[in-house]
Amino acid sequence: MKAPPFGYRRVSSAAEAADALRELGSDARILAGGQSLLPMLSVRIASPSHLVDIGRADDLRHITADNGSLRIGAAATQWSVENDQATTAAAPLLADAISRAGQVPIRHRGTVVGSIAHADPSAEIPAAVLASGATLIAASTGSEREISADDFFQGPYMTALEEGELLREVRIDRWPDGTGHAFEEFSHSHESWPVVTAAVLVLLNGGTIDRVAIAMSGVDGRPVRAGQAEHELTGQAPTPELLAEAAQSATRDLEPFSDVFGSGRYRKRVATALVRRALTTATTRAGGGA
Amino acid sequence: MTIPDVREHTTEKNWIGKSIPRLEDRRFLLGKGGYIDDLVLPNMLEVALVRSIYPHARIVSIDTSEAEALPGVAAVVTGAQAAEMTDPLPDFGPDPENHPWRCLAVDKVRYNGEGVVAIAAESRAIAEDAAELVVIEYEPLEPIVDPMAAKEDGSPLVHETLGTNIAFHREFTFGEVDADFEGADRIISDTLHWGRSGGQPIETVGAVADYDDASGMMSIHANSLSFTSYLFMLAGTLRVPSNKLDMHPVSAGGSFGSKLWEVKTPTIAGMLSRLCGRPVKFLQDRMENISNGDHHGSDRRYEVDLAVMNDGTLRSIKITTVEDYGAYIQFGVGHHGNALAQVTGPYKMSSVYYDVTAVLTNKCQQGAYRGFGSEVGNWVLERMVDLAAAELEMDPAEIRRRNFLEPDQFPYFIPTGNVYDSGDYGGVLDKALELADYAGWRQRQTEARAEGRNVGIGICTCQERSVFSATEFWFWFDEPGAPVSSMPESVTLDVDALGNITATLYSCAMWGNSPETMVAQLVGEEFDVDPQTVNVVYASSNQGLPATGPGGSRFTVMVAGAVEVASAKIKKKGAAIAAHLLEANVEDLTWVNGGFEVAGTPTARMELADIAIQAHLFKHGLPEEIESGLEASHVYDHPYTTMPNDDRTDLGVFYPFMGHACHIAVVEVDPDTGKVDFLDYAAVHDCGTMVNPRSLCGHIVGGTAQGIGTSLLEEFVYDDDGVLQTPSFAEYVIPTSMDVPELKIGHQETPSPYTPHGIKGGGEAGRMMAPAAISAAIDDALRDHGVRVRRLPATPERIVDWIDGGG
Amino acid sequence: MNQGQTERHSVSLTVNDRAVEAEVEPRLSLADFLRRHLDLVGTHLGCEQGACGACTVLVDGQSVRACLMLTVQADGTTVETVEGLATNGELHPVQEAFRTKQGLQCGFCTPGMLMRSLELIRDNRGITAEQAREGLASNMCRCTGYQYIVEAVVEAASNMDTEVNQ
Repeated sequence: MKAPPFGYRRVSSAAEAADALRELGSDARILAGGQSLLPMLSVRIASPSHLVDIGRADDLRHITADNGSLRIGAAATQWSVENDQATTAAAPLLADAISRAGQVPIRHRGTVVGSIAHADPSAEIPAAVLASGATLIAASTGSEREISADDFFQGPYMTALEEGELLREVRIDRWPDGTGHAFEEFSHSHESWPVVTAAVLVLLNGGTIDRVAIAMSGVDGRPVRAGQAEHELTGQAPTPELLAEAAQSATRDLEPFSDVFGSGRYRKRVATALVRRALTTATTRAGGGA
Repeated sequence: MTIPDVREHTTEKNWIGKSIPRLEDRRFLLGKGGYIDDLVLPNMLEVALVRSIYPHARIVSIDTSEAEALPGVAAVVTGAQAAEMTDPLPDFGPDPENHPWRCLAVDKVRYNGEGVVAIAAESRAIAEDAAELVVIEYEPLEPIVDPMAAKEDGSPLVHETLGTNIAFHREFTFGEVDADFEGADRIISDTLHWGRSGGQPIETVGAVADYDDASGMMSIHANSLSFTSYLFMLAGTLRVPSNKLDMHPVSAGGSFGSKLWEVKTPTIAGMLSRLCGRPVKFLQDRMENISNGDHHGSDRRYEVDLAVMNDGTLRSIKITTVEDYGAYIQFGVGHHGNALAQVTGPYKMSSVYYDVTAVLTNKCQQGAYRGFGSEVGNWVLERMVDLAAAELEMDPAEIRRRNFLEPDQFPYFIPTGNVYDSGDYGGVLDKALELADYAGWRQRQTEARAEGRNVGIGICTCQERSVFSATEFWFWFDEPGAPVSSMPESVTLDVDALGNITATLYSCAMWGNSPETMVAQLVGEEFDVDPQTVNVVYASSNQGLPATGPGGSRFTVMVAGAVEVASAKIKKKGAAIAAHLLEANVEDLTWVNGGFEVAGTPTARMELADIAIQAHLFKHGLPEEIESGLEASHVYDHPYTTMPNDDRTDLGVFYPFMGHACHIAVVEVDPDTGKVDFLDYAAVHDCGTMVNPRSLCGHIVGGTAQGIGTSLLEEFVYDDDGVLQTPSFAEYVIPTSMDVPELKIGHQETPSPYTPHGIKGGGEAGRMMAPAAISAAIDDALRDHGVRVRRLPATPERIVDWIDGGG
Repeated sequence: MNQGQTERHSVSLTVNDRAVEAEVEPRLSLADFLRRHLDLVGTHLGCEQGACGACTVLVDGQSVRACLMLTVQADGTTVETVEGLATNGELHPVQEAFRTKQGLQCGFCTPGMLMRSLELIRDNRGITAEQAREGLASNMCRCTGYQYIVEAVVEAASNMDTEVNQ
């Protein structure tokens, strides 16, 4: 299981990376931490012509919180983000999700943005990013555009990124103080691939749900938001019955894929349970009594 | 052979029974383990295979031209070309000429992952580059996946020459089965399915072959291959004279049976070394090990009837099993011989019916995995006893206790003819119940259930047979081709001129067991030397004495016998030298604390080192008949086996040293996800006299962890089209530290009356028991849902399906 | 990139306090570099996809999978492997604790376990059994069932704490 041959270029900035992608063409791939890409090379299901290594690009390693937004650069490792005080304060849901994403030695190398760009339909970080209503910043030579998380994930390992674009940054707007969060995951062993995850944010106001976000992974070709359930919850008092109904609602229309980790039927059942638990935990953390 | 003499065991031991640090460990801790991939010979090539993407397909054509043209490629060999250079791989199964097994597929592929082309190149990476350039045209054939369908007439065939997919079928009746069933109050029946898992050590199988054209010697360094006495068969495959094959044992990074007889890797390396005239390394990668490693574990479906009385007395059992062997059947149905060694468990049962059908399918073939099929039998029997307890509303501990053989009933011949040498099953159960705080857990369980929590407790009391006889590989056949009966183990002990001792072993190297520590402790016991000073080395097969190697929990018992006799030979010679130099009668000498002294005159004494230097250097100071040197070898044969009778109503003694254990698992099941968590786990084992208790505990915990994997996580899954869905560690899920509970471990020592020091084997340990205890605990946790575990692994999805389906 | 084409890059890094320079193919993993170019064969390969952890080494003080890091990515870093643990033949306290607790059987996962354990202890001298068990979940062991590895980590932390305090 050795990687096929490829060319390698290390860049020192986002601009250099974008230029390299333009120059090297469509078979070049970005290498950040490599924790998703290198296993694919090892089994030769990917064969890029070149890898453009952004790991040392100083303008891509940032983790900053300002004006209520958390910004994470494409080269910031998962470990540095989950242990960053700005992150745990501004986006605790993301921090929780990262802490479940692969073993510690993987998170030492793997990047948050790399996991988003990889778009594994079962992965933790995309679910948290989607629930958080994050914005993805795509850069190409001389231009940049913003893509909402809702639009970014398009299918298994497919995103809205276009040829020549580098996913430069993820920006997460901070939810108000008092927001409750919860991240739930089912995997077979403690460290094996995630099967289903649920990411929830809840903000209460005077005993009723003011704002709520629910996202799941492992139930579709891409991470999904549960818009209908969010709608049903908003403005309501979070009783256990209501949360259980919302969890049912969150998964009612899903037709998850089946694979060796779980059938579609099973994924749906587990997702319902995880959403209910995540809603319960998040509501409790938000000061509610559910 | 009649029953051997009962041995007297002294309880005063200096080194046996001490948890000394292992001799093996320093090199591993320093990163100097000397594993097969650490070996790099000058000018060495490396191998990659092209493996089949189809489960079943005819090979129409293979174009290797582009691969051959790639710079750095030395050889590209197709299965057809390999068949011109090698003979079929050695196969102990029934009718092997009608399902020949080769190192690479010829004409058609029979499972997803089977090797089709082998490439030798300057590096593994280049070999893999070349593999991508090989163009193979296949004609897909209908995959044969379900063994129940495969055994029916009209099924497509895995091997056309065999004319059927049934490789073997036979029924056995031991004792008065019909009468026992007719006299029973109840017949308890069930259908069970044990899924396919495997050893999956963290190191895969590898070999470095170095063929010397000048001498004709085929030297192969390999981390696989026990059964040293059978290496001549590999020589046959490689078409070299048996005395020109020299296998060099290399420490293995784990085996658990899965490296027992992995002949394909050394064959491919040897073939390519001879072809290329250079050393060749072939190291399986993980995906090869999973898909093409020839060592998947048992995959069995069962129909079982248990005859019981209303008071819980077990009378008889009828077992009908269909085994899905995969595309080849290298060990025949020896796995079922293993199960028959202890088919009635620790219980008094007077008869057994056993019907086995071995089916071939388009899957990787079975080999060995910790338990070799007897662990499946344990699970089946314990599942049935639990079902009987449930139907009779008896406590699971009590139904077992009621049926236990009593300590004064040994040696006890079970209906199949095998003997249990000794045991105290009630004693083990008592210790386990106390260690687990069984009564306390029953109380806490009641409280937890009142809170709506699904907490369950499972108990099993299982046998662990040890030290097999070769007969189990052929007693299936009325006219076996080779009714072999030797499975010896040998050692050479050499006391050098300064009295330092080297022990030479003759089977495969350490593979996670502790052969060096065991031998050193045994030698330390014999000669009153610190085991850490004993040097233990491994001979290559060409320098070898008869040996078999680890497997079936045999090694420690067998090597103990070899050490015992070799030590006696050395002491006899040493006594003669000492008697001469001390001017005493040899009859007056006794061995005391590391030397010989004249009885009653402790000052008239010679230490081992004093004797050794005389033996090595001072020929003229010794009697004429004493040869120089102080070394001895011994070939130790199995101390207690007998042959089967002609009609196979008595299989003879073939696995006599019977260990026993009780495991108690406490679990909680999440009914939403089906996830099983451990709240507690206790294990009490009895494998006779312990040599190194800490090492034994390591096997108990490690074996239990594998049993947890088998029970809950691990399965080689082939989909309905025969495609392997678990080709890597991403899909084949192995327990982590967070999936394994902290074990409470207890011991009982009931010595064997027939082995040196009373030792019994204990290496397969927890995997023989854990599945039964865990299955029972899940049942108990979900009893309100009517769940009964009938299939392993009990994956979370299966558990929720059972909950939904009312069991 | 065509098959067999070999573009090479120069790297310089520090491995076990030794400065190392080499010209390597981009595809060469750090694990293969350590094993084949530096003869540091204590770093083992069990799965080559980051699952098993046998190849775990420390890069700039952090545990990483050496099979999932390219040598070119390790340019300029400081790498610690199992071979760097013992000094003058004397086992490191982590190694010694594994020896006395029998925290190994076949030894194949051991180097990765040792490096991960060293990291855990460096981060937390008062590590508890529960913390050790959770921290070790990153590395697979097929022999031991982990119990004595957990004990070894707690023991090593305790011994190292004593040494530091003295």
